[in-house]
Amino acid sequence: MVAFSKLFWLAVAFASSVYAKSSTGDSVLVIVEPKKRDDYNIFFDGLREKGYELTFRSPRADSPVLIEDDVPNFSHVVLFASESKSFAKDISPQSLVTLLNQNTNLLIALSTKQTPLTSLAAEFSLTPAPPGTPLISYFPERSDAPNVIPISIPKTHSQIITANTAPVWYSGTSFALGNNPLLVPILSAPAHAFAAEVDGGSADSLVDAAEKGGEGLWAGSQLGVVAGFQARTGARIVWTGGVEMFSDEYAQKEVAKGVPSGNKQFAQDTAAWAFQESQVLRIDKIEHHKLNATAPSEQYTINDQLIYTAYISKFNPDKGTWQPYSGLKDLQLEFTMLDPHVRVALPADKGTPGKYSVQFRAPDRHGVFKFIVDYKRKGLTHLFSSTTVPVVPPRHDGYPRFLSAAWPYYIGAISTSVGFFLFSTIWLAGEIKEVKKGKGHKAE
Amino acid sequence: MATKSTQQKSQSPFQSLWKAYNEGTSDRLKFVDSFLLFLMLSGIVQFVYCVLVTNYPFNAFLAGFSSTVGQFVLTASLRSQVNPDNQNEFKEVSPERAFADFALGSIVLHFFVYNFLG
Repeated sequence: MVAFSKLFWLAVAFASSVYAKSSTGDSVLVIVEPKKRDDYNIFFDGLREKGYELTFRSPRADSPVLIEDDVPNFSHVVLFASESKSFAKDISPQSLVTLLNQNTNLLIALSTKQTPLTSLAAEFSLTPAPPGTPLISYFPERSDAPNVIPISIPKTHSQIITANTAPVWYSGTSFALGNNPLLVPILSAPAHAFAAEVDGGSADSLVDAAEKGGEGLWAGSQLGVVAGFQARTGARIVWTGGVEMFSDEYAQKEVAKGVPSGNKQFAQDTAAWAFQESQVLRIDKIEHHKLNATAPSEQYTINDQLIYTAYISKFNPDKGTWQPYSGLKDLQLEFTMLDPHVRVALPADKGTPGKYSVQFRAPDRHGVFKFIVDYKRKGLTHLFSSTTVPVVPPRHDGYPRFLSAAWPYYIGAISTSVGFFLFSTIWLAGEIKEVKKGKGHKAE
Repeated sequence: MATKSTQQKSQSPFQSLWKAYNEGTSDRLKFVDSFLLFLMLSGIVQFVYCVLVTNYPFNAFLAGFSSTVGQFVLTASLRSQVNPDNQNEFKEVSPERAFADFALGSIVLHFFVYNFLG
């Protein structure tokens, strides 16, 4: 029995090493209208190829539930039912936030219609454009409707999307990005795009909006169409304004003659980031010790030379393993007692991959200190490590003794003692002989 | 009478003071005074060194300086107790008893000084 279970786990380990997968799990719940399920086959097949297990659910179906016995049933949830106004009881904004708190990743599509999810987006510092106003652009000139827009991916964008991806087709609403530091813009609207009613919207209404000083005018590249949000638990959520960009139709549509659109690649890259495949880091372990020592000390003395080392790994989705990662250039270490007394760069060690090490002098201050590595960058998993160590003043025998500068004091103290000794001797010797003898001696 | 005549002869009050001291003080007290003078000079030297050069390590300065001060105080009290002029005030304290007090106090003082010095 034991041998069998061992074999089983070996097989499981082998299987998981063959298939690439997320760093948090393989199970995906896709909430989509059954009618539209086949519209996204290319996207879903791409996920299956990577090793995800997809479960489908209609927005109003009662099962499978998102959270059972307070435990999330799935590692990732894709919400493509962007136009549904009513959902089953357990699919609510509150339950989605609960999922995020329990490290479940979400991929949520909005639409131009007002749904419960529209108001949830505001909680993530996104302000969706008013209902019924899709993103519209008349450039470049094309045969498609003005609300079907090719968006080219900027080269200097975040590392979430593969470089040199072809422009993607987009159709849907847009949102303004707040200044929440946890927000990660993935794709912005083109500079010449704006949000307006596609048919009823007249040029006059646009001019009116512009005259109001831009208030009410939704336009330009500050609008986002796809945005990520990394919660403090590490869970990720991706918001997109239009679910069509994941569809088979757009994946197969050409952006120029003979150039297929980048939608397929973009959808997979976005999902890879959302499902914690790409840009996922962790601190494997940290070490600290005195210079010329190997083991960590129970406590350090002020002005000690300390060496701090952190080992950082990045998840490799191709192999499904964690690999040492030396690519962080701006890592910092803080040695903190309320305030950072020391803040130094923590550079990568050239010899060992994934090793970041620094030597520094402990401050001339005793107290309870912390080694803190706090690395928060947009798009990357937040790294945080805090290790508490006491820093004590030197022990009574830890000070330098008998300094040359103090010799006058030593001589002073010694001469006082010698003087006292001589004084006592002469005093006692002279007492017997009375004052006369002393007198004569002094006179001479 | 002898002091009076010398006072008249000399011009400077310091000289007369010095002469009066020389002639009117017993040798034993002069011996004590010389020790006091030595302690005072030693203390001044250490204090000047501390102010002008360095007070590091401060514990050594405190030990060295306070040993001279403490010894000075103890010696000064010995002097007042063995001075024959003060016999009326220290009737029950014999010079031997005074010296024993002085020696014991000094030994305790030096014990603390050396503990503090290093």
